[in-house]
Amino acid sequence: MIEVHNVEKIHQTGETEVRALQGVSCNFPGQAFSFILGPSGSGKSTLLYLMGALDKPTSGEIFVQNRSLSTLNRSERDTYRREKVGFVFQNFNLLKNLNALENVLAPYLPLGVSAEQKKRAEELLEQVGLGQRITHRPSQLSGGEQQRVAIARALLKRPLLILADEPTGELDTQTGEEIFQCLREVSEQYKTTVIIVTHDERYIRETDFILRLRDGKIAEENAVK
Amino acid sequence: MFKFAIRNLLSRSLRSFLCLMGLTIAIAGMVGLFSIAGGLEKTVSQTFGKISGIVAMQPGAPIPLFSRIPRSWGEEIGGIPGVAIVNAEIWSRVNMVEGKPVISPPRFLFGTEIPTRLQLKHGIYREAIYAGRFLSLDDQGLLNIVISKQIAEQHQKQLGDTIDVNGQEMTIVGLYETGSILLDVAIILDIEMVRTITRFDSNSVSCFYLEQSGNVNNDELVKNIKNHFKGRELASWQPSSLALASASQSNILKTLLNTIDQSLKGSSNEQLEKSNEKHLKNKNHAELQAATKSPKEIEEQSSALDVRSASDWGDRLENFTADLDIFLGLMTGIGVLIAILSIINTMLMSVIERIVDFGILKANGWTNRDVMLLITAESSLLGFAGGILGGQLGLLAIYIVNWKFANQVHLYASPGLLLFGVLFSTTLGIVGGLYPAWWTTRMTPIDAIRRG
Repeated sequence: MIEVHNVEKIHQTGETEVRALQGVSCNFPGQAFSFILGPSGSGKSTLLYLMGALDKPTSGEIFVQNRSLSTLNRSERDTYRREKVGFVFQNFNLLKNLNALENVLAPYLPLGVSAEQKKRAEELLEQVGLGQRITHRPSQLSGGEQQRVAIARALLKRPLLILADEPTGELDTQTGEEIFQCLREVSEQYKTTVIIVTHDERYIRETDFILRLRDGKIAEENAVK
Repeated sequence: MFKFAIRNLLSRSLRSFLCLMGLTIAIAGMVGLFSIAGGLEKTVSQTFGKISGIVAMQPGAPIPLFSRIPRSWGEEIGGIPGVAIVNAEIWSRVNMVEGKPVISPPRFLFGTEIPTRLQLKHGIYREAIYAGRFLSLDDQGLLNIVISKQIAEQHQKQLGDTIDVNGQEMTIVGLYETGSILLDVAIILDIEMVRTITRFDSNSVSCFYLEQSGNVNNDELVKNIKNHFKGRELASWQPSSLALASASQSNILKTLLNTIDQSLKGSSNEQLEKSNEKHLKNKNHAELQAATKSPKEIEEQSSALDVRSASDWGDRLENFTADLDIFLGLMTGIGVLIAILSIINTMLMSVIERIVDFGILKANGWTNRDVMLLITAESSLLGFAGGILGGQLGLLAIYIVNWKFANQVHLYASPGLLLFGVLFSTTLGIVGGLYPAWWTTRMTPIDAIRRG
């Protein structure tokens, strides 16, 4: 599903160079749950965002369904993110001036929201347990509820790929469990590939794919059993 | 998208309000300033729309008050085909009314030849009488006057009262109201009485008011009158100070002050006598020249008379208001510049604060163009609202000024001006949002998200 070929990423901050990724090569299986683990600064989030075309590698290539992300122009990258990839961030990153339903529909606001999309958004919010909260703004939702809205937003487009960066980082244990449960359910239902960056290994199952990074390099890579 | 933009503006209500106020005041100022020209145009067009006749006066004189032409030319003008009535007029500024100096609004003594004035088919002052009567033949040689409602109310006078004008006790026999601040400034009486009071030269008048017979086209009649007086020598009007300064080696300031005094009171006899002598010489000389000159030579000379119909006044005013508009535009430009800088500052601050939001939107498939559209939608909404509010505020200010200074000014903001204000303000909003919008495109989505 996703092939990472010798990817390097160097961040330039003034005169300082930070080598976030150094020659990383790996494959992520499709329609599976995958984890990227490692200490802080190991390059986990960097790799995740490169797979989501939020950034470009300094060198190397990433293939998603046999298509290189490096060959995409800006417009194609925007389309890829809008139609193929759903993001779930650690601090939810909802738009505070929009309610839950509008946040789920945010990717489609510039193009105009169809009645079908609106109905699907309501169904998704219902599915993640927020059917009664669709008109609430983020300030009126708990952390767990906000993350569910983010998951619903990621799912609206029936994405190929969901990329979650520390989705439970700001949640308590119980809520974190609920979020992971929610992610697994939707992954199975929609046959979506889910890749999660996390410090928390409690939610890993034997069938999950694991990639461990350290100092920008692969420390361990476990295949799906 | 606009709903999202409105919510974004409302979420920073104080900042949006302050930016809106900046725009509102700039647009209100623009509407107020341009209403000066608008009011002038409307007043003049309404005024001259009521005047059907033609005025003949000294070339270059802006208004009859500053004009001097030979009295005898009236008879010649009367002989030109197409001219029905020739009414001589003398205009002079009033300095004192009821012992008090007259500064603003100005007042004028309007001396009219009563017999010919009464023969006019349309007399604007005669038709505007609402109390008492207009001047009659019996008022010749008397200080009986017709004044405007404005003047009467200002000095608390009624029909039958006497009023002290320039030290002369005059009796009010009629009250008029034309509704024009340009016309309701005249104190009307017999021409010879004005001549006496102001020591106006006995051989001159300010101008002639002509009523057409109707059998000659207006433009053709104007041309015929001008042609009749081609080759005559009559000095074109120029500001007295320049005329005398160029002719004399004496102290210019003293000369200027004397000239101002003379132009207010009327020319001195000595100067007028000299002028008349010169006129007579010029008339004989001109007649001799006319007899010896070729038609082409006469054609190329300019006329000694300036003849204007109502449309001519309108054309001249258009030129003046065009120049005035440029000046007003420059003044408005300062306020507009401040408004646009205010928008840029507000939007830039707003954008910087929301850079993470824009990163999230881009992460969810928004293009740079979509983000720019959102930001310019916000700034254009500010601009649009500023235009509406500014127009309303400007109208309110105009209403207050017109009410407070009803006798001195008339401001007018046309629907076109108000619409322009809204469109201009909206454009300012769009332009002001462009730089902040462009600024968001410089950052990649991940850089923007990482800022959070």
